Amino acid sequence: MKKYLALFLTMAMSVGVLAGCGGGNEEPAATDGADTAERTTFTVGFDAEYPPYGFKNDAGEYVGFDLDLAQEVCDRNGWELIKQPIDWSSKDMELNSGTVDCLWNGFTMTGRESEYTFSEPYVDNSIVFVVRQDSDIQTKEDLAGKIVITQAGSSALTALTNTEDNDENLALAATFASLEQTPDYNSAFMSLETGAVDAIAVDIGVAQYQLTNHSDKFRQLEEPLSTEQYAIAFKLGNEELRDQVQATLDEMVADGTFDAIAANYADYNLDQMVCLGKE
Amino acid sequence: MDAQTLMNITQQLAVGLLDSCKIFFLTLLFSMPLGLLVTFGRMSKWAPLKFLAPQTLVEKLKLAQSAEGKAENLPMGTRFAGGLFFFKPIQWIIKVFIAILRGTPLMLQLFAVYYGPYYLFGIPITNEYRFTAVIIAFSINYAAYFAEIYRAGIESIPVGQYEAATVLGYNKVQTFLRIVFPQMCKRIMPPVTNETITLVKDTSFAFVISYPEMFTIAKQISAAQTTIMPLIIAGVFYFIFNGIVAFVMDKIEKKMNYYH
Repeated sequence: MKKYLALFLTMAMSVGVLAGCGGGNEEPAATDGADTAERTTFTVGFDAEYPPYGFKNDAGEYVGFDLDLAQEVCDRNGWELIKQPIDWSSKDMELNSGTVDCLWNGFTMTGRESEYTFSEPYVDNSIVFVVRQDSDIQTKEDLAGKIVITQAGSSALTALTNTEDNDENLALAATFASLEQTPDYNSAFMSLETGAVDAIAVDIGVAQYQLTNHSDKFRQLEEPLSTEQYAIAFKLGNEELRDQVQATLDEMVADGTFDAIAANYADYNLDQMVCLGKE
Repeated sequence: MDAQTLMNITQQLAVGLLDSCKIFFLTLLFSMPLGLLVTFGRMSKWAPLKFLAPQTLVEKLKLAQSAEGKAENLPMGTRFAGGLFFFKPIQWIIKVFIAILRGTPLMLQLFAVYYGPYYLFGIPITNEYRFTAVIIAFSINYAAYFAEIYRAGIESIPVGQYEAATVLGYNKVQTFLRIVFPQMCKRIMPPVTNETITLVKDTSFAFVISYPEMFTIAKQISAAQTTIMPLIIAGVFYFIFNGIVAFVMDKIEKKMNYYH
């Protein structure tokens, strides 16, 4: 009797915890609707294994294009920037529970418009395939029967698995021997280098970063998997904070600071990818 | 890879090692005493309904527990009545507690402690709570394992020693503190060392609630510099850390070996 009761309680607790986590998305923004007036800190959630948007430099500090932008936004608003590296697969829990104020880390808005409150897009991104330098894969069609890897929870994964209006990419994904997932892109590149997988589907910025460092090992396929745009994601409904950050970003575009920051990342072609205020 | 880069990676990892150490020492500090409390609960014989039990039932059960036969051979009704009158609520609660903590992944427990307050009760959680949650989750998880190790130690002391203590006029507290506890400490050292070493390596779980410790930092440097060298250095760090832990535990074990 006791044994069954204990088993039941354990299961009940687990289910309760899981249900609690799953149901969180529908909850309304409780506290952070009207807090920009007294805001003193601004917490950015980012994946610290996502160069050049957010990574650790030689001095051990978190840097990157997105974090530089966030720093400038904070300086202009008198906020203290808190750079919070997060486990990317927990990003929704972090954002919804209010432990981070925004996700700002090469975050794709295309296809996710209804799930977050987004800023205006600021980078034109494309998802590309990276293969080994000596590989015989030249086009997307050559990927048939090959093992492809991508990051869990990434936009590349969405592009390959999303079932709405995506027949072409789904057909492509169906030709793969398998589509693997990994927690971070660095291990994906390690798997590729060691031959465990044949190709990586990855955002072009991250691909460029790896190719700059290892042009002898990797090669990028010309034809992209898909094109999309990056934006800053706030918790659904948190428009006040979004508007304030957006206004500051617009200011930075107007006085040239935005382009100056992008120019620092010209090695990875970021200066040609930024799109805020370009139309 | 030149010496400069190696030095740099090692320095950055040393900073991360501090964070891992913080988790390690605080978890030990809280989980070891907490584990003892859990053991007491687990071994609690408190049965509030016992006085209601009819005398015949008590005798029947006593007989069943002696060499005459097994409790399993009793009729259903007697067993059920026994379970009811001799129900031990504290022991039962602690058994459930241990079952949950040992039966679910530490990763899930970290999620539950950190996000639980918000998703279950709507309490907004702060950034500072991250580290607190890591320590709470690790401490209760390890307390459950330590509790069972302590119980093994306590139950290994023969009944004869308790009887001797009673004859010598020791009360229950004195018997435990002066006779049972010191012997328990000696006997549980090897499994406690096991757990402690596992804890050093488990600290890397803290990143599931975004608390970056050494292994996470190694992965981050590895991503930024596109080399696996930081992972290798992190491995060496863990190995040395555990070497020190094993050495210290061995010293303690030898020091307590005063009867041999």
